[in-house]
Amino acid sequence: MKPQPPKRALKFFRWFCREDYLEEIEGDLVELFEKRYEASPARARRGFVWSVIKYFRPGFVRSFFNIKNSNTAMLQHNIKISWRNLKRQPFFTVLNTFGLAIGMAGTLLISLFIYDELSFDKMYPGSDRIYRVNIENKIAGEVNKYAAVSSPLANVMRRDYPHLELVTRFRHTEGKLIRQVDAEVNVKEMHVVGVDSTFFDMFGFDLLIGNKATAFNEQNSIVLTRSAAEKHFDINKAVGQSMLMDNKDVYIVTGVIDDMPRNSLFRDHTVFLSLNSFADHDSPAWNNWNFPTFARLRPGASVAEFQEYLGTVKERYLIPWAMTFVPGLTIENSREESKRTGNYMIFDAIALEEVHLNSPNLSGEFSANGDIQNIYILALIGVFMVLLACVNFMNLSTARSLRRAKEVGIRKTLGSERVGLVRQFLTEATLISFMSLILGLGMAVLVMPYFNQLADKSLEIPLLSPLFWMVLILAMLLLGLFSGSYPAFLMSKFSAIKALRGGAIKTRDGNVRSILVIVQFSVSVFLIVSTMVVFQQLKFIQNKDLGYNKDQILVIEDVDATGDQVLTFKEEVKRLAEVSNVSLSSYLPTPSERNGTTFFPKGHVLQSDYAIIIGNWDVDFDYVSTLGLEMLVGRDFDSNLATDSSAVIFNEAAVAQLGVTPEEAVGMLVTDDFRDGSETEMDWKTIIGVVKNFHFETLRNGIDAMSLTIGTESKKMMVKLKSSDYSASINRIERAWREVAPGQPFDYYFMDDSFNETYKAEQRLSKIFVVFTVLSIFIACLGLFGLAAFNAEKRSKEIGIRKVLGASVSQITYRLSVDFLKLVALAVVLSIPLSWIAMNRWLQNFSYRIDIPEWVFVVAAVLAVIISLLTVSYQSIKAALSNPVKSLRSE
Amino acid sequence: MSEPSLGEFEELVLLFVAAHNQEAYGVLILECLEEKLQKKVNISAVHVALKRMENKGFVESNFGGITNERGGRRKKYYSITSLGKKVLDRQYELRTSIYNQIPKISFGQ
Repeated sequence: MKPQPPKRALKFFRWFCREDYLEEIEGDLVELFEKRYEASPARARRGFVWSVIKYFRPGFVRSFFNIKNSNTAMLQHNIKISWRNLKRQPFFTVLNTFGLAIGMAGTLLISLFIYDELSFDKMYPGSDRIYRVNIENKIAGEVNKYAAVSSPLANVMRRDYPHLELVTRFRHTEGKLIRQVDAEVNVKEMHVVGVDSTFFDMFGFDLLIGNKATAFNEQNSIVLTRSAAEKHFDINKAVGQSMLMDNKDVYIVTGVIDDMPRNSLFRDHTVFLSLNSFADHDSPAWNNWNFPTFARLRPGASVAEFQEYLGTVKERYLIPWAMTFVPGLTIENSREESKRTGNYMIFDAIALEEVHLNSPNLSGEFSANGDIQNIYILALIGVFMVLLACVNFMNLSTARSLRRAKEVGIRKTLGSERVGLVRQFLTEATLISFMSLILGLGMAVLVMPYFNQLADKSLEIPLLSPLFWMVLILAMLLLGLFSGSYPAFLMSKFSAIKALRGGAIKTRDGNVRSILVIVQFSVSVFLIVSTMVVFQQLKFIQNKDLGYNKDQILVIEDVDATGDQVLTFKEEVKRLAEVSNVSLSSYLPTPSERNGTTFFPKGHVLQSDYAIIIGNWDVDFDYVSTLGLEMLVGRDFDSNLATDSSAVIFNEAAVAQLGVTPEEAVGMLVTDDFRDGSETEMDWKTIIGVVKNFHFETLRNGIDAMSLTIGTESKKMMVKLKSSDYSASINRIERAWREVAPGQPFDYYFMDDSFNETYKAEQRLSKIFVVFTVLSIFIACLGLFGLAAFNAEKRSKEIGIRKVLGASVSQITYRLSVDFLKLVALAVVLSIPLSWIAMNRWLQNFSYRIDIPEWVFVVAAVLAVIISLLTVSYQSIKAALSNPVKSLRSE
Repeated sequence: MSEPSLGEFEELVLLFVAAHNQEAYGVLILECLEEKLQKKVNISAVHVALKRMENKGFVESNFGGITNERGGRRKKYYSITSLGKKVLDRQYELRTSIYNQIPKISFGQ
């Protein structure tokens, strides 16, 4: 028995060594082993193993891609053949790759956008257990929701309801002017909020500088975000600095917090004040809805139970509180009343994670919410784009299938099974999909900055995230398999004999192809219609008669910073030649402060049937004339009449709530000073006029009831300009400002800009619509172009014969184009009702909306036909002009 | 076109292939090398040199018959090609011509 070399080493060697070297080297190794075995078996074994290891090097290791009789060999073969095929048809390959790449890039951007929107408010610890308490209030037939609630609610919940881990309160406040006490220049911070000491625990934030346990314990404590703090001082020296707010209140800096996460509802906020700095922080009043309140449930606590508990709060606390000053009010008669009138008011809770996408913008919201509907629309567009690109691929591949019939025939004759053929075609599709992925990724990287601008985001492509790549590659494979499946299925079906015999192979794929073209153009027409409707609606909103004139009005912010000089400043500005009118008020029809009150008409004080809860704006004597509001009946405030300081102007909606006609309303006495004393001691206001309804909320909402009264405290000044040379006028006003308010920022904007700002979401949506519509149509056209090219080629003999027999170029062009036009026409017919339904639903979001005009459909149809005609006609004309000799010669 | 180069170890292996033309195979060359050089050489080094030179066209190889040795595995015999011989000659000439230029050097004290 001969000595045996180490088995494992030999096995390993046989596994890795290239086949053509194996016998020789193995032989040498064994021979050497046998020779040395006699001297020392152990050493021989060691030597053998060591030599084997030394052979494990590039020159000797076999190519593992070359393993024959295995799947990898077939795969390599498939890839090679695919690559050759793609190279042989560069036109088709470029068309496909390009279309698919655009689709992928678009979908990638949309996906990142959606992913970002879905990530809102999920980063806090236990965020799935955090709820915000809302108020839902129905009065005079209208339901309103508020994101801020009464001040005592937080304490009541803490005391009553054991399943809460933590409760925290905020208090909204307007933007503030901030400076260090000894500094001169103020900085305006737009987003300031009062917070409880439990803020950090609730949302898991940490302070960069300062102690979070005590930061909000003292009154007049202030915490700034890093970027807000850096405007004033080095953040390391922040703690203990004294800051002046609105030039009057001193706050002490107790900490610096990192800038708020971009996908958090606090994202705009830069200044946090201790809640106990606010006079009303421990107010027992249940009718002051200024405090956004968040609660975190204990793990496992039931949300339904919590909601149920909130439902009982009104009768347990709010009504008993109201009973202390409303004579005759009992829980029973308040129930009865709400049954009779249908009015109600209830506390309820919404999950924090739902706030961003699944709740409308309520008053008291921290920042503007997204809209789940837009997410759906975008997702739909994304799916459409990929679908269009896939359809292109299927169309072009099946169209070219005849060319490859011979290949299929030969493969089958040589023994290829159908599965093998399917694999071949799928490999081709995946290869295209892979090239598109690379191209599309490049495109996405390039257009990312523009997309961010368009969508008002700061998204990045997470090129370093393995998960991202996994998803991407998976998507690519799926896309390749999906778009390749139909052509593969179809082509592998050819019978070998028929394919090789030549002549026409009859397939029914023509029908499928027609359906695919119809789908593509239906989607395109749908998108065209949608885009036009969105634009029409926006135009309608922007040009709608709002009931006031927003043009040429300059709004100057923070005029209260001038202190007692404000009236001097107003007179000063009014004297300028290019100024036609000036008015002071904090309340504008564009986004600004809002305030409400409850009025009772004389004779019905404290009778809840007669109460009207309406907006109440403090304005000055020039308000109505500056805004160009129209008086329906009665008169405007008159500065010459001393009694007008206790006069009130109602709008039409308010008069309707009173239940009288505008004419009857003028001269009526109303009061909002009903809490103490008898009717004689109350402060009565006379309705001196009724103003026509004007739109002071966005046109998504209707017009609420409101009233105007004369007030003295105002933060904003409206300046109506005459001339169109705005910059000169603004310069002159600024000069006047510098004199009365040195060191205060001169902040101004035009009212119509602010108005347009309100519709930014719609404008953004419409732009996104346009971009992706154009892209989708482009993809569809690529497909059609390819299909037309193929069709012309397939029918080249037919065209040649027709030409020989005397057909004109125009006749042939017509013949080649008309088939496609039929499909496009069918697509138009299909998509018009669909788009009509969809856009009508979208328009339901607006209180004031257009009826979709018929011409939109006509334009979309004509556009689709023209675009497809242009796409097809190039190929058709080219074919019609070609020399018939060329196409007929080969027969 | 410059001719492929010949390394020192490769040259030695090539010399043995030439010396045992038609008879040279891995183990034989290894044994000769170890004997002449008086040091251990790994069989893999010999094969690397052989394969490289085969790629360069200095040697060619063919299998011998099946024998009872080596578990029935055939030997692969190497022989030098004319190109290999030419390279070897030139190398030799180059060395001797330079060697002959060496003046008499005395390493005396």
